[in-house]
Amino acid sequence: MASVKLEHVKKVYDNNVVAVHDFNLDIQDKEFIVFVGPSGCGKSTTLRMIAGLEDISDGTLTIGDRVVNDVEPKDRDIAMVFQNYALYPHISVYENMAFSLRIRKMSNEEVHKRVTQAAEILGITEYLGRKPKQLSGGQRQRVAIGRAIVRDPAVFLMDEPLSNLDAKLRNQMRAEIILLRKRIDTTFIYVTHDQTEAMTLGDRIVIMKDGYIQQVGTPQQVFETPKNLFVAGFIGSPQMNFLKADLVNKGGQYAVNVQGITVPLEAKHNAILNQKQVKPMPVTLGVRPEHTTLCFDDVSNAIESTVSVNEMMGSELHLHVVTKAGDKVILRIPTIDLTDSQRASLAYGNKLYFNFPGKVMHLFDPKTEESLLYPGD
Amino acid sequence: MSNNKQIPEVDIVVDEKAGVIREIKPEQKLRSKSGHEKRVNVGIYTILTLMAIIWLAPFVFLVFQSFRSYLTENGGMVNYLLPKTWSLDNYIWLFTDEKSLFLRWYLNTLIIALFNAVLQTVIVLSVAYALSRLRFKGRKLIMNAVLVLGLFPGFLTMITLYFLLKQLGLTQNGAIPGLILIYCASSGMGYYISKGFFDTIPKSLDESARIDGATRFQVFMKIIMPLAKPIVIYTILMAFMAPWGDFVFASYVAFGTTTNYNVAVGLYQWVNVADYQGFFTRFCAGGVLVAVPITALFLALQKYYVEGVTGGAVKG
Repeated sequence: MASVKLEHVKKVYDNNVVAVHDFNLDIQDKEFIVFVGPSGCGKSTTLRMIAGLEDISDGTLTIGDRVVNDVEPKDRDIAMVFQNYALYPHISVYENMAFSLRIRKMSNEEVHKRVTQAAEILGITEYLGRKPKQLSGGQRQRVAIGRAIVRDPAVFLMDEPLSNLDAKLRNQMRAEIILLRKRIDTTFIYVTHDQTEAMTLGDRIVIMKDGYIQQVGTPQQVFETPKNLFVAGFIGSPQMNFLKADLVNKGGQYAVNVQGITVPLEAKHNAILNQKQVKPMPVTLGVRPEHTTLCFDDVSNAIESTVSVNEMMGSELHLHVVTKAGDKVILRIPTIDLTDSQRASLAYGNKLYFNFPGKVMHLFDPKTEESLLYPGD
Repeated sequence: MSNNKQIPEVDIVVDEKAGVIREIKPEQKLRSKSGHEKRVNVGIYTILTLMAIIWLAPFVFLVFQSFRSYLTENGGMVNYLLPKTWSLDNYIWLFTDEKSLFLRWYLNTLIIALFNAVLQTVIVLSVAYALSRLRFKGRKLIMNAVLVLGLFPGFLTMITLYFLLKQLGLTQNGAIPGLILIYCASSGMGYYISKGFFDTIPKSLDESARIDGATRFQVFMKIIMPLAKPIVIYTILMAFMAPWGDFVFASYVAFGTTTNYNVAVGLYQWVNVADYQGFFTRFCAGGVLVAVPITALFLALQKYYVEGVTGGAVKG
């Protein structure tokens, strides 16, 4: 158990490539932090700097009360789970888990106690005598986690631990990590490129791109008030729709003109824009697919479009449509509300109308790509 | 058969396992049934057999000569292959006669080979591990320099080395430690195959072990070494064999001091300096005895040898 503090941490590789720029983050004790971002965004590099596997080019890293920039990985009191598990192939599962304890010259009884206890938590007791090769992917991942928890580390690092598993197993292991987290109450730093994992696991999410932190916040915060265009597009699946639009102001009430319709902003957002004194301007409008509604009867204030792909997901439809103005938009429509004739009308090539309320809109400055509705830190 | 070739007829076969109907083209049928393949095989095996005979002839000759007594028949060259009576006289002479230094030479060679096997293995594996795992300034430069240096034959340095060793008192009377020094000194340059093998072991194992609390040395000993068993054995084997059969270095470092010769140099002295006609069969017997341990070692460890070479070759 320990807090982790990164101040102005920077990573520059020998070939002068800057992988991480000025990374500042305060991780609370017992917090579950997720670093998420596309590949090459510097998330793994940051994790590896915390682990001590990469040198820190600049800035300070504090674990607990100790600056650990120049401390060897083994002395940082951390444990790490790797994407490819990194189990030692030549020794049994038991010895894999006991390795770190034996290095620390722990007594055999203590080793046995800890290993069996960890094995029980993870449900791998019956595999203790096997070699890693004889285990399935999910079991190997459990062993990798077991190897980390026997240590009872202050900080638990996980580098894309679920990426090598198939979809079904990944969901299952994700739930198990949530349970595990409840049982071993310690600080977690988890790296993933999968926004679903980030949303479901993290207390707070750190979204990164090109070595810069884009936004730090709870899953709800980053989903509801993305700080910029990148975060808005990265979080949520299918991805948020972006449309060109115009912000207008009529006597203190802001509204958005988009594709021939006008949508007024809700009071909360209106207040933010008023406070920032935003001038009427062209904006990038963001609307999440699940926040759109189909209009079957009254189409006076709706955007006309043509169905190009109709994906039936079971409980919902993913409609890929092209608006009259030629923009591609994805709509996510619950199937339960649709009548049979309505469903039939959503076939390829047919026209449909959709709109959305003011409260679901995200507005971005097209130049800076910053959100106009972000209330500020 | 020739009809088949001209008329493109197609056989149809139902593959029940895959649940599909396959066409078998006449060419495919031809190849599997014809004697063409057999004829090719006969040709290949004939060539291989001939090559084997050419290769093996000297060894067979050597073994036969070694059993011809220098006392009752002729100790030198004769114009027949099989000894008239099979005897162990040559071997007995090697071990019992006071004029024979064979045991001494054998022991010298063994000492040099064993020391070298240990030292060179440690050096080669350490260099290979460092170049495979550590990133430091000049790493590429070192690797390139070694590559270029390796293109020169080792005995180009013969004269220089001799004078250097002489300064240190490691020639003639000090020939044995001198030779060990020569063999080990540049052995790090033979890191390629081991490095290639280490490169195939995922780096995350090292990292995982380091986070688990192991020092670099512990990682090397507890994780890498057990996983690199084939290459360790390969390296030991190579390090043992090189000095075992060496002639060039051994002959001039020990020059003139007969008690410090290794087996190869010593035996050669018999047929060169000593009575060539009289010592030839004894020379052969010595040669057989030199070959025995190395052959046994090789046969016992060839599984690892192949694994080591091919494993290392995956990523060079």
